[in-house]
Amino acid sequence: MTAPPSPDDGPPDGGGTGPDGDLPEAAGRRLGSGSFSSGLTVPDFAACLQMGLRPVGLVQGFCVMQWGWYGAGSPYMRGMTPFSFGGGAPRGVYSESYSCPHGGFMYSNEHRIWGQNYQQPWVESAWAQGFGSAYTRMVEEARAVGAHGVIGVVDSTRLLADMNVTEFHILGTAVVVEGAAAPPGGEPWTTYLAGQRLAKLVEAGYMPISVIAALSSVRVWAYCITEMLMEGTTLSFGGGYMPVSEVEQLSRAHIAARSLAREHVRGQLGNDTLQGAVIVANTQSLAQGDEVIECALRGTRVRRFKDFDPLPPARPTVRLS
Amino acid sequence: MSDARPAKTAATAAAAKTAATAATAIDIRAVMRRAADSLGAPAHDPPARAVTSDLSVDESLLLHSIGWEAVDVVFGASVVSIPPMVWTWGSGEITAASDAHNQAVRSAAKHLGEQCSGVRGHGVVGVRVEVDVMRHHVDVELTGTAVRPVRGKDRGSPFVSDLSARDFTLLHNAGWAPIGLAFGASFVYAPRRTMGTTMRQSSQNVELTNYTEAMYAAREAGMEHMQRSALDMGAQGIVAVQVSEGPMVFAAHAIGFTAWGTAVRLEAESHRYLHPEVVLPLDDATVEFEAQSLR
Repeated sequence: MTAPPSPDDGPPDGGGTGPDGDLPEAAGRRLGSGSFSSGLTVPDFAACLQMGLRPVGLVQGFCVMQWGWYGAGSPYMRGMTPFSFGGGAPRGVYSESYSCPHGGFMYSNEHRIWGQNYQQPWVESAWAQGFGSAYTRMVEEARAVGAHGVIGVVDSTRLLADMNVTEFHILGTAVVVEGAAAPPGGEPWTTYLAGQRLAKLVEAGYMPISVIAALSSVRVWAYCITEMLMEGTTLSFGGGYMPVSEVEQLSRAHIAARSLAREHVRGQLGNDTLQGAVIVANTQSLAQGDEVIECALRGTRVRRFKDFDPLPPARPTVRLS
Repeated sequence: MSDARPAKTAATAAAAKTAATAATAIDIRAVMRRAADSLGAPAHDPPARAVTSDLSVDESLLLHSIGWEAVDVVFGASVVSIPPMVWTWGSGEITAASDAHNQAVRSAAKHLGEQCSGVRGHGVVGVRVEVDVMRHHVDVELTGTAVRPVRGKDRGSPFVSDLSARDFTLLHNAGWAPIGLAFGASFVYAPRRTMGTTMRQSSQNVELTNYTEAMYAAREAGMEHMQRSALDMGAQGIVAVQVSEGPMVFAAHAIGFTAWGTAVRLEAESHRYLHPEVVLPLDDATVEFEAQSLR
């Protein structure tokens, strides 16, 4: 068992120049300075000490990714072929095709004779790469200071300038669990929680394993019916307007995007639990009848370490103030 | 003397309670250490499949306290078209828009229920309702967490509720059960004033009865739709009703009103009173400064 270092022990391995690895030199100097910094609020900091968690440093990771897939001339502008049933998508990738019921080309060249919903794994994997790289860099810093875990993790993504460039940023407070063995493989655990919420989680019998996040991306190429319903140009053969109707293609795309995000997260969970999931869905219109639905799902992977032990029933109270 | 006796009894009870609390207080440091050390060992009694939940820690613990657990995050979505030309001037209710709205909610709730059944949930709590009414379509998105009693058996028709897990727990303890999401929407035209009326009223402080009547009509029709949907589910009432109203962004002469809430039914023989304990805090209690034991 390797005893985690204490701030009193002086700089960690790597001498006075900071930790090993490919961390920036400034990060090495900061982490090796012998004092700690923390992103915790004062109440969370106090609760953290109460639990026997000693902050050893504010750790963070960044990654800047270019998004070239939506730009002009992109090879992915229209995804799969309409002529292979099911969209010709790779195995295991969501795809649905829709065909025009009006007799094909008889109207005009602009008539959308086919449409498609398709998952964009290249977008999803690029997002996972950006998030994963930032996360790995944060954990690398935590390892460098000998932390057992990282609490109070905060992550964000933002567009930089007008360049189709997204920055992933993730940071948290590295902590040492007083008196505990080193984590398996020296890999620190991570959680979005801190303070009293983390204490409640642990007391309830769950230990955080890691933060988890995934993005799903579904492209919608509208076929004629979808376009007409969405644009309000629905003339039926009788000459009247089509009645209120469900836009099946879009409804299915929305559900697919959310379900795919959940499945991506499940793929990282094993038999554990995702606690405190946050779901953010976004629809972007690229052109008429061309939409992208993206759904990001994040939360803390937790594992039960003791028997199911429900709390006594809560007592309702009325507060006089 | 007789006045002092109850005070002494209360003080004794309070002391006994404090002693009992101290006896069962948990060493949170030891629990944290044990939890951290457990990472090297195999998972303890893992579930058969991964669980996902968007409930907070408090909500999960409250559910556990009544013997329920989260199963999975579930979704429902529906996009329903609104025929062209319905937002032009007219009179009365814009039934096509109202129907589109109500159909979109029903369809999204149905998808949500199907996903809940697929993971053997008994219902969905904390449903987040997002509705966008556009000129040509209504978009409805529902997101929540499927829940069920721990080791509970399958149930036929799951409920859908926008109540938080905290409110669900209170409702459960009081003997009531959520049945489903009751929803009602109504869109009406604000009738035109005649040219003469407009000219005559232009410099007066007067009630615009056309708008008043349109708002009245929209509210009444929306509430009626909501209550009808609750009665169709076999509910006795609706709790936590929320409303949204106002002129449409793209058609200011059309007034929209939507109302929704959780339809409930009494499951126990009679309502159970919870008898809340009155608490008088003696501190500023605005921050939780220390990690306190929950027992």
